[in-house]
Amino acid sequence: MVTRKDIERLGDLIKIELGDPEKYIKQVEQILNYFGSLDKVETSSDNILTNEVLLDKLREDKSAAMLYDGKMLLDYLKRDPKQFIRAPKMS
Amino acid sequence: MNIAISVAEYIQEIQNGTIHVEEFIAKTLERINKVEPNLNALITKNEKALREAKEIDKKLRLKEKVGSCYGMPISIKDNICTKGMKTTCASKILENFVSPYDATVVSRLKSEDAIIIGKANLDEFAMGSTTEFSYFGPTRNPWNTDYVPGGSSGGSGVSVSAHECITSLGSDTGGSVRSPASFCSVVGLKPTYGLVSRYGLVSYANSIEQIGPLAKKVEDVAFILNIIAGQDPNDNTTLGDNTSDYAKDIDKGIAGKKIGIISEMVGEGADKEVIAATNRAISKLQGLGAECIPIHLESIKYSIAAYYTIASAEASSNLARYDNIRYGFDFSSEGYEFKAYISKVRGNFGPEVTRRMLLGAFVLSAGYYGKYYLKAQKVRALIKSQLDEAFKKVDLLVAPTMPILPFKIGEKIDDPLTLYLLDINTIVANLSGIPAISVPFEIANGLPVGIQFMANSMQEKLLLQAAYALQNTTNLPVVPL
Amino acid sequence: MTKIGLEIHCQLTKLESKLFCSCKANYRIYEPNSIICPVCVGLPGSLPRLNKKAVEKAVMISIALGCKIPPKIGFFRKNYFYPDLPKNFQITQYNAHGPISIGYDGKIQIEDREIRIRRIQLEEDPGRLVYEGISEKTQVTLVDYNRAGTPLVEIVTEPDFTNPKQVRLFLNILSDLVENLDVSEPDLEGAIRVDGNVSIEKGNRIEIKNVGSFRDIEKALQFEIIRQQSLADRNIPIPAETRHWDEARKITVSARSKEEEQDYRYLPEADIPVVVIEKTTLDKLKKEMPESIISKKDRYVKKYGIPLQVAEVLSSDKFYSDLFEKAHNEKNAKEIANLITTDLKGFADTREQRKQLKITAKHLSDLADAIMNNEITRNSAKTALQEMANTGKSLPEIISSLDLGHVDDDIMLSKIIDEVFIEEQKAVSEAKTNPETINYIVGKIMRKTQGKANPSHTLDIIKKKLDLQ
Repeated sequence: MVTRKDIERLGDLIKIELGDPEKYIKQVEQILNYFGSLDKVETSSDNILTNEVLLDKLREDKSAAMLYDGKMLLDYLKRDPKQFIRAPKMS
Repeated sequence: MNIAISVAEYIQEIQNGTIHVEEFIAKTLERINKVEPNLNALITKNEKALREAKEIDKKLRLKEKVGSCYGMPISIKDNICTKGMKTTCASKILENFVSPYDATVVSRLKSEDAIIIGKANLDEFAMGSTTEFSYFGPTRNPWNTDYVPGGSSGGSGVSVSAHECITSLGSDTGGSVRSPASFCSVVGLKPTYGLVSRYGLVSYANSIEQIGPLAKKVEDVAFILNIIAGQDPNDNTTLGDNTSDYAKDIDKGIAGKKIGIISEMVGEGADKEVIAATNRAISKLQGLGAECIPIHLESIKYSIAAYYTIASAEASSNLARYDNIRYGFDFSSEGYEFKAYISKVRGNFGPEVTRRMLLGAFVLSAGYYGKYYLKAQKVRALIKSQLDEAFKKVDLLVAPTMPILPFKIGEKIDDPLTLYLLDINTIVANLSGIPAISVPFEIANGLPVGIQFMANSMQEKLLLQAAYALQNTTNLPVVPL
Repeated sequence: MTKIGLEIHCQLTKLESKLFCSCKANYRIYEPNSIICPVCVGLPGSLPRLNKKAVEKAVMISIALGCKIPPKIGFFRKNYFYPDLPKNFQITQYNAHGPISIGYDGKIQIEDREIRIRRIQLEEDPGRLVYEGISEKTQVTLVDYNRAGTPLVEIVTEPDFTNPKQVRLFLNILSDLVENLDVSEPDLEGAIRVDGNVSIEKGNRIEIKNVGSFRDIEKALQFEIIRQQSLADRNIPIPAETRHWDEARKITVSARSKEEEQDYRYLPEADIPVVVIEKTTLDKLKKEMPESIISKKDRYVKKYGIPLQVAEVLSSDKFYSDLFEKAHNEKNAKEIANLITTDLKGFADTREQRKQLKITAKHLSDLADAIMNNEITRNSAKTALQEMANTGKSLPEIISSLDLGHVDDDIMLSKIIDEVFIEEQKAVSEAKTNPETINYIVGKIMRKTQGKANPSHTLDIIKKKLDLQ
């Protein structure tokens, strides 16, 4: 049973203001039930698909400065005159 | 001048000098202006396309080196980053976003002198199967504009099918390249996971998705794959250099090959036209010398639940970065507190994206990880092991790409689970990472039916040979100009 | 009994590039938001690329702390929203399920105690926040992403400490250790950050965050223990919570909800493959590791006969032990060790001072040799050392310019001794029977010659003159 409170809690977890949480309740519940059908599957091993890479093949520790079509990356972002990025005040 | 031509035909004509890049691009732009009001396949058009065309013509005139694409127009799904043109992911939240860098696949195409003609429409953040979830409105099927073109790479499928470009790049997470390929009667390939770099592909489900080419001909898809495939230092998940020449020997044929017909995909739940078409395709394959036998994949019935569990979980994390603080759309944070601001910003995601993120948050939340996400990953591994078993008996697998014919716009949009279930034939390749291709096979009741082949990991050459062989048994119409 | 555990974040400041991209790792000297790229600022479509050396250095730290290294390691995402976190998740390691972190089950000895290391993990640092505006209305948060993506090693101990002094000692040892491994420079601001958790008998565990220095963590823990004790004495229950160290008021205060029950929704970082650490690679890294502090100390004592105290000081100081290694040979090792620990360290101990030192290995070995060959007295050597450190001039130059040469000329020395004999007649007669008084006379001679007389030579001459051979 998925409740309105559940939807609101989830919305808060992912920081989405849900205009109308009600409309998601039924759909989320239906889909979660559907996900639950996986319970029936016998998965005997704990095997998961993973990619692997040898430590030796990882990126070398070198630095590189980059320009983007001649501009600094910051010029593509929402910048502040003092070269910072502004975020809303923290509570 | 005929713009409804293949890659090979285009390159031939440019090399001969029978046509010039500029006039071809101009004609293409004319075509775009004519059909776009009806189709809505492109979100952004490249303002500089003619200028780029002129540059290439100049190089040709001066006998300078020109890349293998010779100025061919190509559309790029709008969740793949392109410098100088917006990358919106069909979302309000990235309405104004211009990437400072090109995706690796885009740089590779540009260095071969392809011209990006525009950014193709998609379901928002690639979440959807019909391109109805785009912030910029749905894309329409050129075969019948009341019908959906498939998704999420609907804009890619339509722009190729309706001759707005010669090829396109889409992305395939649960069938998103193959579904529009099938519904629009074009070829669409999902490569092996790790064959094509994802650097610059806006992440939705990063352990699953791949960029894939669409075109009218199988050999055109092979041509593009040759350009975009291969290890990329910018993407740690690309596999070691293992790339072949995918165009070479594409006409080898399939005589002596064993092809498994996936029983679960031609039974209950499939439209009768689709089943009939599939049977006819199988006859053709047998006529070409292949041995077709039924194959059972028990775990397929769990593939959708496993896929959506994993994809939602990954989506809820991949999309967390969209808070409009560094980039995004016009909405000032003046007067807002942090949490309230970003929640309001993110309230602008569409309903499908929101739904998946809620589901994703749920399956990853404390206490549920084992029941849902971990279980889904185990089922995923089980599916892969069953496929490995199958590939011991057969070389390829075949099935219809979509269980049903294209349907009307708006028909299924209110029932998310019903839409999810349409992915039943395509998802298994995504979950296991194996390559799969959709080839147009029939037009039934005026609507396209595609046939899908799957091969084991890194077997794209074999896949393309089978698709090519089947393509050559058909003589399908194209969308009228 | 009081139990204290630590969570230490150590930046790998000696790396060239960040953990997941090629931006420069040393963010401290750059303008805001000038060393950023699509990856570390979390642009759409960007993907992390793991830094090989960061993993290697993390392996070395794990080995140095006695940890087990798993054959495969994996990365996870810790999801939460904060303006300093460009992707709104941190790529880190996790030990609840799936591929684990770079080190586990280690231990380190401090004095008489063994501190167990629960785990070591590799993760990225977030950006830096600067707050602007004073009033509620005008408050604005400014973000600098230069630091975002800097490699961090997180070291978590078991709650094996029983008092704050041990914590301080441990942190100093850890500092020396990471500096010796050439992975981090603990003196750099923010290079090592410490969170502590403390509980008294039967009490709940309190976490203390936001502590600036090692001295402060000791104070914060002391304060917290007293605070908890006073609550317990009055039978008031101690709620489990997170507290911050208030630098100004020197107390801990209850933190607000940020650190409350957060559901981080961990999931594997699929953009980074599981890293396989083969045995051959591990063996190679073990060989490449710089010599440990303990091993150096033992070597100094056993091979060169350096006194234990001196060896301890020298071995735990990377800057000076490196200098020692370059300067010494079998013969002058002890002298150089002495020069460094007694004199040089005395006037060049801070980071700034060391940076400005003009002294070289050759200077030291020349000086040590000169002392051992009686070309210069130890007193003069001290002066010479300082001059070398400040000017970088060579020993011969300094000896002549400051006139530090020995007064070895016997005739000259004899004359001076005679002068002192006249000035100190009482002492002279006493000296025949009381050896202490001879030293007093030698002292007078040293003063008269401004330390340039060779003490043992002077003593010889005096004894001869007094017929005390």
